[in-house]
Amino acid sequence: MVEQKNSEIIDLKKVVSQKRLKAFFGLLQGNYGAYAMATFSLAVSAICRSAVYLLLAYFVDDVLGTPNFSRQVPLVALGFLGLALVQGIFTYASGTLSGRTGERVAQRLRNFLYDQLQRLSFSFHDRHKTGELIQKVTSDVDAVRRFIAQESIEFGRIISLFLVNFGLLLYINSRLAWLSVICVPITVGMSIFFFGRISKAYENFQNQDGVLSSVLQENLSGVRVVKAFARQRYEIDKFEKENWSKYLLGRKLLMWHSVFWPVSDIITGAQMLYGFYLGAQMTIQGILTLGDYIAYVSVLVWLLWPIRNLGRVIVQMSQGLVSFDRVSSIIKEDREPLDEGDYLPAARPRGEIVFENVTFEYEAGQAVLNNVSFRAAPGQTIALLGSTGSGKTSLVSLLPRFYDYTAGRILLDGVELKRYPRRYLRDNIGIVLQEPFLFSRSIRENIRYSVADDIPDSDIEQAARAAAVHDVINTFPKAYETMVGERGVTLSGGQKQRVTLARTLLKNPAILILDDATSSVDTETEAEIRAALKQLMENRTTFLIAHRIQSVMLADLILVFDQGKIVQQGTHEELLAQEGMYRKVFDIQTMIEEEVQREVASATG
Amino acid sequence: MEDYNEFQEEEFSTKFNGRTILRILGQLKPHWPWVLGFLVAITLVSGLDSYFTYLNKRIIDEGVAQRDIGVVFELMKPYAALLFVQAAAVFAFIWLTGVLGERVRYDLRKKMFEHLQNLSLSYYNRTPVGWIISRVTSDSDRVAELVTWGMLDTTWGIMNIITATYFMMIINWKLALIVFACIPVLVVVASWFQKRIIKEYREVRKINSRITGAYNENITGVRVVKSLGREVANLREFSGTTGEMYRAGFRAAWLSALFLPVVQVITAVSLGSIIWYGGIQTEFGGMTLGGIQAFIAYMTFMLFPIQEMARVYAELQHAIASAERIFSMVDAVPTVVDLPAARDPGSIRGDIVFENVRFAYDDAPDEAVLADFNLHVKQGENIALVGPTGGGKSTIVNLICRFFEPTQGRILIGGTDYKEFTLHGIQSRIGVVLQTPHLFSGTIRENIRYGRLDASDAEVEEAAKLAGAHRFIEELDGGYNGQVGEGGNLLSVGQKQLISLARAVLANPEFFVMDEATSSVDTLTEALIQQGMETMMKDRTSFIIAHRLSTIKRADRILVIEGGKIAEMGSHSELMRQKGHYYNLYTQQFREELAGKQDPFLLNRPAAAGN
Repeated sequence: MVEQKNSEIIDLKKVVSQKRLKAFFGLLQGNYGAYAMATFSLAVSAICRSAVYLLLAYFVDDVLGTPNFSRQVPLVALGFLGLALVQGIFTYASGTLSGRTGERVAQRLRNFLYDQLQRLSFSFHDRHKTGELIQKVTSDVDAVRRFIAQESIEFGRIISLFLVNFGLLLYINSRLAWLSVICVPITVGMSIFFFGRISKAYENFQNQDGVLSSVLQENLSGVRVVKAFARQRYEIDKFEKENWSKYLLGRKLLMWHSVFWPVSDIITGAQMLYGFYLGAQMTIQGILTLGDYIAYVSVLVWLLWPIRNLGRVIVQMSQGLVSFDRVSSIIKEDREPLDEGDYLPAARPRGEIVFENVTFEYEAGQAVLNNVSFRAAPGQTIALLGSTGSGKTSLVSLLPRFYDYTAGRILLDGVELKRYPRRYLRDNIGIVLQEPFLFSRSIRENIRYSVADDIPDSDIEQAARAAAVHDVINTFPKAYETMVGERGVTLSGGQKQRVTLARTLLKNPAILILDDATSSVDTETEAEIRAALKQLMENRTTFLIAHRIQSVMLADLILVFDQGKIVQQGTHEELLAQEGMYRKVFDIQTMIEEEVQREVASATG
Repeated sequence: MEDYNEFQEEEFSTKFNGRTILRILGQLKPHWPWVLGFLVAITLVSGLDSYFTYLNKRIIDEGVAQRDIGVVFELMKPYAALLFVQAAAVFAFIWLTGVLGERVRYDLRKKMFEHLQNLSLSYYNRTPVGWIISRVTSDSDRVAELVTWGMLDTTWGIMNIITATYFMMIINWKLALIVFACIPVLVVVASWFQKRIIKEYREVRKINSRITGAYNENITGVRVVKSLGREVANLREFSGTTGEMYRAGFRAAWLSALFLPVVQVITAVSLGSIIWYGGIQTEFGGMTLGGIQAFIAYMTFMLFPIQEMARVYAELQHAIASAERIFSMVDAVPTVVDLPAARDPGSIRGDIVFENVRFAYDDAPDEAVLADFNLHVKQGENIALVGPTGGGKSTIVNLICRFFEPTQGRILIGGTDYKEFTLHGIQSRIGVVLQTPHLFSGTIRENIRYGRLDASDAEVEEAAKLAGAHRFIEELDGGYNGQVGEGGNLLSVGQKQLISLARAVLANPEFFVMDEATSSVDTLTEALIQQGMETMMKDRTSFIIAHRLSTIKRADRILVIEGGKIAEMGSHSELMRQKGHYYNLYTQQFREELAGKQDPFLLNRPAAAGN
């Protein structure tokens, strides 16, 4: 039940785009009641704790030595127990409610961030480092959770303890009350000052920790060099220097702590002694009853000691807000609208693709594709030939709308690409990348990654057979249940590539993109992959990125790319008949064979 | 990130290992005066706290109740004086404990780092760097935390209980017994809770690393996720995991929230009993008002340590697990060490001979990487090693450098088994250039000087000139004082290789080993590297794991290594005539190199050189 209520999606983006405090408050949405209740319970339990001392005062003044003493004593004892029970219930309520709120908010943040990350545009991911993102979505989210579940509550506890106990003192005697809190502003001011310093010293200490870690990291990854030059001593000295400096910074940090606590002890202690003395004097003068004095002594302790922690809590809270800002920076980014688009055909596309003067730039003014035009008929194979960075990959990234072109038009089945929802395009386009990426789950789950979970196993195996990987999978002890990745078997590059082919086959896309899919594969598996690819390409419009003439020869249309432009297009025969880049490449390959023969002759001759 | 924790993340034993604890405490031995100091300080703090409560009782009973302000004043004098004593003790315990903690961390890190420098390459081959780093950083933190703050908390708790007991017995021993009766109950309840809370936290940590893994995969695989349109199913799966996290986290929070009030209620029961029983006693004059007040305070005193028991216990467990991992690393024995009678060879010039050498890794002793390997290399000979990946080329080089030692057979340098020499004696005379050259963050000059630490600036530049690195260094921002970045990542692979060549030149070794880079380097840099290699190979015995035809052809002898054996051996023309492995390798390589050089796309562009 709890999960259900919790999983309702709220638009966190709207929430965090407000002013900070409002935004932060907005995170609690759906838990306001619980959180208010937690705060309220906190106050109630503080009241109960102090009421114990009132009961003690009553016991001393009105029960002790009165005639109905022995009848009253059990009642007072039960009163203590009752107060403790009530206090216990409310402490529990406060802890459990705030804990639950924190966990809920954290869960909601995690889910939202996860979804956010997979729905942000490619350009977002191009700009951000994985490590930093993970840092934000894990430890910063945890800091926000602590802020809600612990730090704010601790802050509330200190404040409510102070208010309740101060109220009680006012009730006992207002002059005494005011004289008992003289040190409070001093303590609070001092603790805020100190903890500001402490957090700065801590930052230095942490930075040095980072330095030390990178020295260690570098030493370990360069261990062969260290050994090869027999530089162990030198490395030890280098580490020693940073290690010692961290020790010194740690000492500095401790100095602040070691000064703050005793000084605040003395201030608080002096205040208490002063209070005790005043109280004693007033009692002796008859202004206070003996019971009041006893209650006063206990209450004073509960008033003064928590105050010392205020500075620490405030610094922690400000750090929590910094984490919150870091988390919101991700949340504020715009998602890719997957379903946006006014043209959604029911059927799969035929696969006719027309580029009309398409220009695309990642950054304004730097065209990666320049005025590209060509037409691919349904079912044709289009080969893209050119060097690295000539725009081939950028061109195929436009088809599933990973990026949107900046000028010109792309038409799919006669309709402009921007009118199709991204989801429709991606459902109907299959991509096989140069670097095969598999997820850490079983091979079966990897193959059926893009289709419904209830697909029959026979289909999965059929896809694997078609991708020439079925037999390999069956040599593993757990066959299709074999885990891939860190905790499982290590597949070779060729095996991984064939699993991704099976995955794409099962998806059965109308348009296929093969981005240099065979380049990282050794010669033995290349033939098998080629066969699998051939099967995959049948009846689909296929874009084939390649470096070698042999791979593109059979294509229906070959586009020769250089620096973002199509410099030649046509079939193999047409291109060979023209003067140009394509023929040069072809000639070189023929020339190389002749060279090889000559070289062999000279070496053996 | 979490992923490296997968490596041998032993589930820590719930049982206490006495030996480990003793060994942990052993870390404190050199600093025992500090330990003594903080133990005395914390004892003083705790004792004074109890005494202050006792003074309060006397102020109430002898001063306030008797309406004698003089007594109150008299009693406050020692109170005030002792406040300063206590403040001094507080200062002392924070300072001593904290600094000692830093010191223990420092010692542990130092010890581990020094040990790591001596461990053999085989240790590094089977141990992920991330794993080692967590041992040196977070595990040493945990152990230090335990022997300082953990010990302090424990002492403080015990002292609180002892001093509170003492004063309660003084005030009224009958009532004190009532309080003691509830201690065992508290302990039982506390340990009931503690077991469950620890379990939930463990669960939280486990799920948390799964969540981190899921994020990691989602971010690194985002392109695939998008192209396969998996977003909805992914989120559904992930929500399942965060749901588990919610439940485990909430159970932990719930248990902690329940723990405190339960303890408080149990205390209240004994407090009620005291009032009840004490109330009756008061009637008979046995218990004073101050006494009751003091009893309440003392009970709070004793409660703190019991509440904290669970936390300290959990930390103790963690720290023991951390210590076990640290010790496992410190106890790892380097497999390649100097023999007792090892001597410095003075020079390692001379023929190098492999005699029936066999090599297998420790974890797979039956799978020989190299078997029945025999080779005689004459002083000054240049050997090129070629062959497929995993054929055993690197193993041969690692054996010569004595990063590994033969499992069977011998390697002789100048007629002597090289195990009779010291490691330092051999390795300081070998120059090595690795395939992926590793540089240390710092300046270019510092990196070259790594080859010979006492080299002058002029010598550094001379070495750079010989290695062919001088020109590009001069053109860089900052020249020799330019930063290379972490791992050298501000430079291209070719530039890194040139600098590591200069580093080797400066060391002026007697023997040279190089693993050529496979990745393409622009033509100019390539030529410079060749020049640098030539310098190194002149008059020196050298082993080159070769990928470039020019290097291969320049060698005096070519070894084709396949399946841990020499498949073919001879000069270039001899091997070409055999039309075997070498012939195939060579022609294939030749085609690729030519294709690379002649690529019209690249030739088309004047500034296409580089990475």
